[in-house]
Amino acid sequence: MTKNINENLVAMQRAHGPLLEVKDLAIDFTTDDKRAVHAVRSASFSVYPGQWVAIVGESGSGKSTSAMAVLGLLPGTGHVVGGSIKLDGQELTGLKQKDFDKLRGSRMGLVPQDPMSNLNPVWRIGTQVQESLKANGMDVAHEKRSALAKALAGAEVEVRGKDDETFLGSDKLPALMDAAKTALQEAGVSGEAYDQALAEFERDWVPGSETRWRVADSLVKAGLDEDKAWDIAKRYVTGSTMDDRIAGLLAEAGLPDAATRARQYPHEFSGGMRQRALIAIGLACRPDLLIADEPTSALDVTVQKKILDHLHMLTDELGTAVLFITHDLGLAAERAQHIVVMYKGQVVESGPSLEVLQHPQHPYTKRLVAAAPSLASQRIISAKERGQDAASLMEHHVVGEEKLEKSENIITVEHLTREFKLPRKKEMFKAVDDVSFSVKRGTTLAIVGESGSGKSTVANMVLKLLEPTSGKALYEGKDIASFKGKELLDFRRHVQPVFQNPYGSLDPMYSIFRSIEEPLRIHGIGDKTSRRKRVRELLDMVEMPESVMGRYPNELSGGQRQRIAIARAMALDPDVIVCDEAVSALDVLVQDQVLRLLNDLQAERGLSYLFITHDLAVVRQIADEVVVMQHGKLVEHATTDEVFDHPKMQYTRDLLDAIPGGKLQLGLD
Amino acid sequence: MWADAWRSLRKNPLFIISGILIIFIVVVALFPGLFTKQDPNYCTLDNSLGDPTAQHPFGFDFQGCDVYTRVVYGTRTSLMVGLASTILVVIIGTLIGSVAGFFGGWVDAVLSRLNDIFLALPILLGAIVVLQMFKTNGSIWKIVLVIALFGWVSTARIARGAVMEAKNLEFNTASTALGSTPVRNLFRHILPNSMAPIIVIGTTSLASYIVLEATLSFLGVGLPSSTVSWGGDISNAQTSLMTNPMVLFYPSAALAITVLSFIMLGDAVKDALDPKSRTA
Repeated sequence: MTKNINENLVAMQRAHGPLLEVKDLAIDFTTDDKRAVHAVRSASFSVYPGQWVAIVGESGSGKSTSAMAVLGLLPGTGHVVGGSIKLDGQELTGLKQKDFDKLRGSRMGLVPQDPMSNLNPVWRIGTQVQESLKANGMDVAHEKRSALAKALAGAEVEVRGKDDETFLGSDKLPALMDAAKTALQEAGVSGEAYDQALAEFERDWVPGSETRWRVADSLVKAGLDEDKAWDIAKRYVTGSTMDDRIAGLLAEAGLPDAATRARQYPHEFSGGMRQRALIAIGLACRPDLLIADEPTSALDVTVQKKILDHLHMLTDELGTAVLFITHDLGLAAERAQHIVVMYKGQVVESGPSLEVLQHPQHPYTKRLVAAAPSLASQRIISAKERGQDAASLMEHHVVGEEKLEKSENIITVEHLTREFKLPRKKEMFKAVDDVSFSVKRGTTLAIVGESGSGKSTVANMVLKLLEPTSGKALYEGKDIASFKGKELLDFRRHVQPVFQNPYGSLDPMYSIFRSIEEPLRIHGIGDKTSRRKRVRELLDMVEMPESVMGRYPNELSGGQRQRIAIARAMALDPDVIVCDEAVSALDVLVQDQVLRLLNDLQAERGLSYLFITHDLAVVRQIADEVVVMQHGKLVEHATTDEVFDHPKMQYTRDLLDAIPGGKLQLGLD
Repeated sequence: MWADAWRSLRKNPLFIISGILIIFIVVVALFPGLFTKQDPNYCTLDNSLGDPTAQHPFGFDFQGCDVYTRVVYGTRTSLMVGLASTILVVIIGTLIGSVAGFFGGWVDAVLSRLNDIFLALPILLGAIVVLQMFKTNGSIWKIVLVIALFGWVSTARIARGAVMEAKNLEFNTASTALGSTPVRNLFRHILPNSMAPIIVIGTTSLASYIVLEATLSFLGVGLPSSTVSWGGDISNAQTSLMTNPMVLFYPSAALAITVLSFIMLGDAVKDALDPKSRTA
């Protein structure tokens, strides 16, 4: 059955021809000194109507640039220098911005990457949705249509087709409900069927979103005859007001209580809600093609799953094609039927999703598949096995196992609680609520949770950057909060952090040498020459060339900076490293490299890691034990394999389910 | 960091031009005797508003003094006032601003209100009132102190903002976790990262302090007429503006060139100090 539908869909798509056809696209950026930088070279891909196509690549691969060229929104000095972009046969290269204005919104929609900065903070959400309708003349059309529909209500004209025709208005909803109830009773529908039908009406009849023919359809489904159903639909579904339509669009995007929400401002929305609003805006004018530029990369995995599920449903219903840009191969494979892999401005591979995953041809795709944590997590049994030959692997594994059993706890957290005072509120907010766990020497404990789960607060208390409200964090059996003066300095020497943001955690005014040397200086270790030698060793340890010593953080890439941050943390030969989302900001390949590095360092030096992350996929690659946190509370604590194979709590299962591509079958091993 | 700033400065034409001009101005200020053999206070009414000659290229003013010589000798006064007030203002302003920004809380509240009070006083009006009270003392330090008294406000505001911004950057937390103390962070990380805007406002205000001295001297509350200064000369030149505008032009041009040089220097230094603007 499903197969049939899919085949039909493919046949339909082929018959129609591609909606978007990009051929040999070349894009250049001009630098300050008038040199051309090739951002995209001979890129070709097509999107068929109703299809999801994913462009996958790391940052700087040209994936966003290609998409922006389709929209005519290339930033700054970027311009198309060759090739063609065709939307439904119409050539887009060389179009003027004025011509693009006509296409954007109505033919092509955009869901941008960062929900935090893409909504205007001084306008209500509803106004911003309305703006997109207005910009495409849809508001006039909408009101006009509504007026026309009212006039035609009695006439024998059947309006049926594209579903932005005649919407249900909120003023008519109660009357429609009553009429439906009476009609159903008259038609002899009763008991369970009656209740079920009413429940369905309640759910589906969203003012501003539900159309006349769909109301009629649902009435027919409930058991009314066609004439009666259409009579009711024509009488009561007579067009909606602008406010209804806005609320309807927001409701379609999955925003609960949309009418109230439309009157709120962006700062009253969470990240996920903002992204839903942006989806509503992108789809407001019913474009044929929706370009989603990393729409969920700023969101928690569970929220990401919900939003993409909803977007999938919505675009399927509307028949919208989606060009989905992401750095996550697993996510792309899970969501899209077709994958285009971009690398250094070129399309290196493209094909049906599963085929690309199972039989990657290009070496880059192979590396990407191997590195993708979400995919890897399903086939790597233990993190320690990565990249090591069998002998050392076995050896290490055994040592690891023993350590888990015998070694003492280097960090212990007992009933740790931290409260914060919220502005304008009386009660205290418990960021961390009675959390206990311990990190065994030479192993990795990962704390997993979504943003706001209190995991970073725990890390900060272990690092003595915050004092606990109650409970204790112990290092080698001593209370961390009690450390002062010399003891504190000693503690700092043994417990080192690596922070999330490799752009923020290095002082931009400090050269790489000074940054790495800083901890040695603070602790008064060695003289000038010996410190220089040590910095060289450390750079060697993180596989960075000596030549970077005189450079500055802004001259390095994110992955390189994170290596520097790790080198700095290693400078004092610590026992414990607290990694607070240390790899979250990095591209998959770089993330993989950094994880390997951390793993190797652990094997070499017997380090213990407290690894804070929101990404369960990463956990499997690095951690021995996992602590799952939700709303400040510890919900699950077990070994990594146990958590992955037999999660006890529903929340953990949700988190596991949300790993993109986690359930895909790979033909790799 | 300073070595890098210097390397990028050396390549900046803005810096080269302003640097050469400023070196020249400083040399003139230090050794006015090298540029003229005449006495700026040797004036004979015989020469009143006399035309330029080979020995007196800028001509004579109303009092019969050599305009060229007076412009040369006025340099020292203007430069001294500008430099001394800027240094004083930057020290006071950075101190108060960074203390307010770093400690926050009631310290910030008190210092910020003090700041607001001074901001409400117009600097020119305040300077006139204060200078009227100490009319007897004719040294330039009087003017420098008055400028510093009213001038620290804007620097303090900028320093406070810059420190507050730098304080919340992640590398401070990183540094604390490495074992650094808050005070060490302030001096090693926060202040260096806040210096760029302070230096910029310093160099631009240097120019405005030179102008302020000229204004005060023009109004007659600044330096006594026995001290040669551009402001005083501009003030005196107004009597002969209609008959011989060039008398006004030369000291004004000297003032404008000096001010412009420092503003250009400020811009160049700002670009150089901000590693984010530096390309690899």
